Order: sequence, then structure tokens, then C-alpha cells
Amino acid sequence: MESGDKVWEVFIQKKPGLAFKHVGNCHAYDKKMAIQNARELYTRRSEGRAIWVVPSDQIVSVPLDDADAFFDPADDKVYRHSTFYKIPSGVKHL
Amino acid sequence: MNFTFESNESKFLLRIADTSLILAQRLAEMCSKGPFLEEDIALSNTSLDLFGRAEELYKIICRIENDKFEPDELVYKRNERQFYNLKLVEQPNEDFAWVIVRQFLHDVYAKEVFTELLKSENSEVVGLSQKVLKEIKYSHLHAKDWIERLGLGTEESNSRTQSAVNHILKYIEEIFNFDDIDKTYLSNTAEIESKWNAEINAVFAAYNITRIEVPPLSMRDYRDGFHSEYMGPLLSVMQYLPRAYPDAKW
Amino acid sequence: MEKFEAAFNAIIEQDLKVEPRDWMPEKYRKQLIRQVSQHAHSEIIGMQPEGNWLLRAPSLRAKQVLLAKIQDEAGHGLYLYSVAETLGITRAEMIEQLHKQEAKYSSIFNYPTLTWADMGAVGWLVDGAAIVNQVSLQRTSYGPYARSMVRICMEESFHQRQGYEIMVQMSFGTPEQKEMAQDALNRFWEPALMMFGPHDAESAHSSQSMEWKIKRESNDHLRQRFIDRTVPQAEYLGLTIPDTKIKLNKETGHYDHGEFNWDEFWNVINGNGPCNQERLDHHKKAHYDNEWVREAASAYAAKTESSVA
Repeated sequence: MESGDKVWEVFIQKKPGLAFKHVGNCHAYDKKMAIQNARELYTRRSEGRAIWVVPSDQIVSVPLDDADAFFDPADDKVYRHSTFYKIPSGVKHL
Repeated sequence: MNFTFESNESKFLLRIADTSLILAQRLAEMCSKGPFLEEDIALSNTSLDLFGRAEELYKIICRIENDKFEPDELVYKRNERQFYNLKLVEQPNEDFAWVIVRQFLHDVYAKEVFTELLKSENSEVVGLSQKVLKEIKYSHLHAKDWIERLGLGTEESNSRTQSAVNHILKYIEEIFNFDDIDKTYLSNTAEIESKWNAEINAVFAAYNITRIEVPPLSMRDYRDGFHSEYMGPLLSVMQYLPRAYPDAKW
Repeated sequence: MEKFEAAFNAIIEQDLKVEPRDWMPEKYRKQLIRQVSQHAHSEIIGMQPEGNWLLRAPSLRAKQVLLAKIQDEAGHGLYLYSVAETLGITRAEMIEQLHKQEAKYSSIFNYPTLTWADMGAVGWLVDGAAIVNQVSLQRTSYGPYARSMVRICMEESFHQRQGYEIMVQMSFGTPEQKEMAQDALNRFWEPALMMFGPHDAESAHSSQSMEWKIKRESNDHLRQRFIDRTVPQAEYLGLTIPDTKIKLNKETGHYDHGEFNWDEFWNVINGNGPCNQERLDHHKKAHYDNEWVREAASAYAAKTESSVA
């Protein structure tokens, strides 16, 4: 197609206080259009009160080859989870 | 059916309702014909806003007229000369530039009208205007951004936009020939016209569009139910089913 | 490579989801692109038969409902194009394939809509059949496709209902309206059943698709589910299913049905349906007539947005 057509990732905040959530993407030629297209597509059913758009090619992700190096080392650190600890029965508010 | 309106307020609101309806119908024609999918959806959204606006206005009008007719009857049973929409909004979707220019010229006007209606003595009209102004603000922004892209984009887009403007400007003069009914419900008609001119002139100038001089036209007023020839075919299509099957309920 | 292939097989085996950055066999990717782009094109071409009545919708309510529905279809086409894009094909390439007739769309949209009752039949039967298929695809093995199906099914929940509502109005309306309703059912029944594709034994892509869990249930299975749901709905309307062999089989609990006209099915698929040419021409015209708009948007962005190029 025409060279200026780009893909933008869309993040929606459902209401104030909640995290922005990735909902999908849209095509647009410029920033203003991207935010409007995201609005047309992803908030027709009152799904959001705020929108972020980011050019897809600006997103950086972990290379597939490195995934095990990035993520597996966390798997055995069970002491980071509250269920690792034994609390005597009857003790409250912990 | 007898479509005489007793109240001046309903006569006034009918002008806005009909204008919303006919513009909505024109925009609906764009469905599946947009320049790309996202914009197709955007035009449908604006069309839906306008159909909803027309429907709410017809409901208010029907109540003012003691429910002697229903909104759908106003839409489907009136003849050409009984519609009171701006000729501007009947103009066809010659190309995307026409769609955008028509929308922009309409939205700048509608924004001023509904802002005035916030001061209405009719609380239903005030409530509706509050809602509608948000829709118009968005649609106006959307249209203006497109005027910017088309005006500054390519030579072709600029010349298509210019030619849409040159045609459509003919239908502006009548908008500001306010009559006594308008003046009853719009407290400052002179300001509506001057604000409209100021914004149109500024936007056109910023995006390399020329506002050509339109000579005074021998064109009868939309307030008396006069139309361009584009109106008849639009109504024939829109009203086909209820007229072909008058006994049917839909 | 073997490590990746094993990981892929494990994902399929354990009913997990394949994600865009995961390794996948080239044939899996191709098969998905074929299916998802066909699904996307179907949504987009599917706007036209309903668009035929949009401007003639007989009430303000019907007009807004139909426009919102067609607009949803554009949105669903877009979600699906975006799923296919995660597999390494652009929307522009898919549109080009559609125009060159290298990519297909559902044949159902090559039938004309002749009366307002067709808006009922399309929503009730065509969307109904699509929903049965799409609910099943919520469990497809490709993550983005599965997630798009969840969203689409949620949004489409009103589509079938609005269709059935029209059928109710027509079936219980004037004799002329009822006649239109029956006529619409007569014309759309068999094409709707054929939307599920050929019988399992004759389906070219089915077995590999099932192994990879792209497809989760067979054509015939899904078709039967649709028939079982729909026949009682037709009975409520007082309409007659245009198949004399339709009958509840007490032993199986399913409705038996007659054979379909598969010659017509293949003929329409191969381009010789009543509206194939018109549907494609409409899409091409909208696309090429507006090329200047896209060029303008590109040129404008190039002039003003160099920072985000």
C-alpha cells in the first residue's frame, strides 16, 4: 500500500485507577489519526476512558532465543511468594 | 397524513432534526466505501451519532405537538417539500473530500447552534444539547484533521478539496438568512454567523484552501422546504419500504 | 530447530497457545494465514449484502441497529487482518490477494439480498452459522486468533438476535411480510448450511488443521449443531425449513436432513455465484477510488511527523 500506512499498538484504560491494557492494534498514517482510529475501534462499547497508541515498530521484546535465559532463573525463587512461608495456625493478619 | 406543526419551537427543532437525519443518511452511504477500514468505521460512528440525534429531536417535536405523529412517521411519511434540512447536507458523496468538507462546514455551524440551545427553556433540549455537543466536538475535530491532511497532503488532494469547497459553498448563504423563528430560539444569530466565518476562514487559510466569492444566489430557502435535486432520490430510497407496504409494522 | 519444533509440538499437545514470536512450522503459518485472511475478507465482503438495505431500513431503530452491525463487521475484519499480520503478512498484501482472487471469502456473501426479510435471514442464519463456527474457534491453537474470536463472539452476540427479531416481526406481520420471511428462509437455508464447508471426507484442509488444533471440530459436527439449534427457532416463527427430510431423529437426538446441492456450492466458490463479480468490483472501486486519500495522508505524515517515521 502507500508508504505512510503504519501499525499502532493500542492500550486502553477502562477507568481511572486501572492499568492500561493492550487491546490490539490499528492502522494509521499519523499520531492524531492513530488515536482517533483507536477510539473508533476499541471504545465503541464504552470500553475506555483513556487511550495510548504506540507505533508497533517501536516496541522492543525479548528475542525468542534468549527467553529461557531471561525468564527461567526466576522459577526457583519460591521464597518471593507468600505461600512459601509457614505461619502457625491461629495467627491472624499476616 | 397532515404534517402541520402548531408550535414554532417544533418548526425550529425540525430544521435541526431534518438536517441531522439527511446528513446521517448521506454518511451511511459511505459504509463499505471508506478510504480504509478505520475511516469507514469512523464515518459510520458519525452517522450513528446523527441518526440518534435526529431521533431524539423528533421525539421532542412529537411531544411538543401532543404526539399527533411519531418519529418514524416524520422520517418515512413526509414528502420532499415537507423536509426542512439545510441543502448543504443533501449534497452527494462525490468523493471523500466532499464528505469531509460537507461535514466540517456542518459541524462548525451545528456546534454554534447547540451551544446556543444550552440556554433553551426546554429542559429536554438542554439535556440533549449537552450530549450532542460532545459528539460534535469529536466529529468536528475529526473533519478538521482531515481538511488539514487533504489541504496540505498532495496536489491532487488539495485540488479535490478545493473543488468540493467551490461547489458546496453555494449552500452556505441560506444558513444565515435567519428568520423570526430562528431568532426566537437562537439568541445571537449574528454571532453564529461571525464565528462560523472566522473559523472557516482561519482553517481554510491554514491549509491552503481558498474561500471563493459566491455571488448572491437565486435560491429559495430551506426553511420553506426548498431543496436541491439531490433530495428526491435520497428520500425515494430511504422511504421505500414503509411506502410500499403501508400496512406493515417494522 | 529441533528444540523449537519440540516446543511447538508440546504446545499443541498440551492445548496451550502458539504465540506470534514462537517457532511454528511453515505450513502451520501458511495454513493460518489462509484461514484467517479468508475469515477477515468474509467480514469485509459481508458488509455489502447488508449494505444493500442499509439506506432502505424501514425505521430509525432498524437503521441504527443495522449500521452498528455492519460497522462491527468492519471492526471484526480489522481484528482478523491484525491477527494475520502477526503471522508476517500485511493488510495491503491480503487486500491485493483478495483483488487478484488468490484469497477467498465465504461464498454466502455471493448471494443477493432481495427483500428486507433477508436482513433477518442473514442475521439469524448467516451470523448464527458464523457464531457456531467462531465459538468453536475460541479454542484454536493460535493465541491471537483465539483471543480475537473471544472478542468477536462477545460483540456479535447482538447480531443474531437482531436478525431473529426481524424474522419475528416479518413472520407475525402482514401476509406479505410473512411471505417475504419464508422466501428469505428458502433462499438462505442451504447456503447457510454450506458455510460450514464440504463434508469432512471431502474437505481439503481439514485433517491437518485438526491435528494442529487450528480447527477444533469438524465441518459436519458444527453443521449439525447449527441445524439442531435452528430448526426449533424456525418452528416458533411458523416457517417451513425448505428440506422435506428435516426430522428429529429420536435415537440420535439430532435432526436428520437431506443432501445439499454441492454442485452449486463448488460453482459459487469457483466464482460463478450470483454476485461474485459485483462484490469484488465494489471492494476494488472503494479501494482504488480512494487511493488519493491514502496518498494524501502519507504525504501529510511525511511532512509533519518525521520524528515517528
